[in-house]
Amino acid sequence: MEKGDKVWEVFVQKKSGLPFKHVGSVRAYDKKMAIQNARDLYTRRSEGRALWVVPVEAIVSVPLDNADAFFDPADDKAYRHATFYVTPEGVNHL
Amino acid sequence: MDKFEQAFNQIIEDDLKVEPRDWMPEKYRQTNIRQISQHAHSEIIGMQPEGNWLLRAPSLRSKQVLLAKIQDEAGHGLYLYSVAETLGISRQEMNEQLHNQTAKYSSIFNYPTVTWADMGAVGWLVDGAAIVNQVSLQRTSYGPYARAMVRICKEESFHQRQGYEIMCQMAFGTAAQKEMAQDALNRFWEPALMMFGPHDADSVHKGQSMAWKIKRESNDHLRQRFIDRTVPQAEYLGLTIPDKGLKFNEETGHYETSPFNWDEFWNVVNGNGPCNQERLDHHKKAHNDNRWVREAAEAYAEKTEAQVA
Amino acid sequence: MKITIENNEAKFLFRIADTSLILAQRMAELCSNAPFLEEDIAISNCSLDLFGRAEELYKIIATIEGNKFTPDDYVFRRNEREFFNIKLVEQPNEDFAWTITRQFMHDVWAKEVFTQLSSSKNEELVGLCSKVLKEIEYSLLHSRDWMYRLGLGTEESNKRTQDAIDHLLKYVEEIFNFDDLDKEYFSDCANIERVWQEEINRVFSEINIERKEIQPLSMRDFRDGFHSEHIGHLLSIMQYLPRAYPDAKWS
Ligand SMILES: [Fe+2]
Ligand SMILES: [Fe+2]
Ligand SMILES: [Fe+2]
Repeated sequence: MEKGDKVWEVFVQKKSGLPFKHVGSVRAYDKKMAIQNARDLYTRRSEGRALWVVPVEAIVSVPLDNADAFFDPADDKAYRHATFYVTPEGVNHL
Repeated sequence: MDKFEQAFNQIIEDDLKVEPRDWMPEKYRQTNIRQISQHAHSEIIGMQPEGNWLLRAPSLRSKQVLLAKIQDEAGHGLYLYSVAETLGISRQEMNEQLHNQTAKYSSIFNYPTVTWADMGAVGWLVDGAAIVNQVSLQRTSYGPYARAMVRICKEESFHQRQGYEIMCQMAFGTAAQKEMAQDALNRFWEPALMMFGPHDADSVHKGQSMAWKIKRESNDHLRQRFIDRTVPQAEYLGLTIPDKGLKFNEETGHYETSPFNWDEFWNVVNGNGPCNQERLDHHKKAHNDNRWVREAAEAYAEKTEAQVA
Repeated sequence: MKITIENNEAKFLFRIADTSLILAQRMAELCSNAPFLEEDIAISNCSLDLFGRAEELYKIIATIEGNKFTPDDYVFRRNEREFFNIKLVEQPNEDFAWTITRQFMHDVWAKEVFTQLSSSKNEELVGLCSKVLKEIEYSLLHSRDWMYRLGLGTEESNKRTQDAIDHLLKYVEEIFNFDDLDKEYFSDCANIERVWQEEINRVFSEINIERKEIQPLSMRDFRDGFHSEHIGHLLSIMQYLPRAYPDAKWS
């Protein structure tokens, strides 16, 4: 391919009930082609039962420079995890 | 050293993966681009020597198996091109580099496939050698490359088997078939061993690539693993490895081979193999003859996609 | 080895099986020659579906014929006049417009053919049809989408598509000259033509393609094993190995 085609990120759902997982990308000129190319590249061995393709420019990610500001503040909030709490001995099903 | 470089070094040291948005030394990026695009081009050019027999495959089964295999190789090329793209090179640039010969691909694909037995030898030896290399690369330090290798190795598992199956059929078939099988082994044995690249002592990029964990095991190490696995497979077939100096060293537990013909290797690398010109011309022709198709797809997308997006 | 066909149903099914096989072989020619890699994979997939379909049909034929021959015998040991594919599918890949147009014309035909065969009395065939119809549905999606891209893309792509269509339409007339055998095994021959004409005309009109009048051609019928010159070349390539080494086994 040379120009006019776009990169699409591909997400596959293996079975119903499971989350969609990012598997890679494909190039294609239009939506229909993108979903067909994704099908042929990522599900030839029955790897999926549902597919999403998303134009790569539609994906927003955290800028590298801000990564610390985004994620570090979560590090000292252990109270969000169940293991933070002590369960009295003999008490079950908590 | 700034905090980004420190973070990068830490990732390498801790055996974690470098991801596309992480900071990385420019040389690390370029080395990966060179290696990954070369790998991608090899998958794609590798479609041709096998495609050469696709229309002449001698049974419905072998035809479907071969087509599925070549199709996998196209897919491997695509995975790898998109990995390289995460490092900031476009598919178009890579294609141009292939066409103007600034990018290389594995020399093994510059050898002709002259009989059907070569489909056996290619699957058994060429895919076999590629798999040894690719399994090792599952631990490479660039995350997207490592993940592509995991996927590729999973798909490769049938390639070597289909090749060996053809070898079995021919080695245990009629006298003419056995002769073809031996002839194919004779022609592909040494080129397959040279796929692992120059000896460690002569390897230019080795040091830094190993330090950055782009490459995880040395050429000679991987080659030895392949030889040790393959010699008994040839024995089972009742075929003779075309190397009079081949012997098993009881002490080391490894096979030893005669010196390879590196002059031929470098000559093929430098463009003078039996099929270098044909492979490149074939690729260019498919690309150029179909430019109008891509232009049509582009024009159609411009007319129709704009309305929705 | 002389391949014989005893039963009418087998004789009829060869038309469908051979059509799948020859088109599969034609599609396989695009491997490593497609306009771009993604499309290479897509075309290979269609080709694989068609080879698989042909193989299953030959198995059904072999069963009907009392297993005197194997599917590989049917593929590799018959001569030009013993193949019964529609001529449309043996036409060459002059360019991508030919490939896509041929595919589209075939897919529209095949969809109605296998829809009708799914009410056959042959249970094996009915089982195969449900799988095949899904493949055709997908292939049609692919070939029809491309008809739109090529027809409406650029001036050049429209012209190439028009040229391909003008050529390939010559090989359509015979498809609908149904004989008694067709009438016995299809539930509604006339509908095969009706569905085909409707869909083809609908798509052509939407993609800026003119359907030119084709004069009836003096062409002998594929049902009697008549072909264009292309078939001989296709077979000589496809059958080379088993013909050159008649006593060798291949799997
Ligand atoms: Fe591969
Ligand atoms: Fe492979
Ligand atoms: Fe390969």
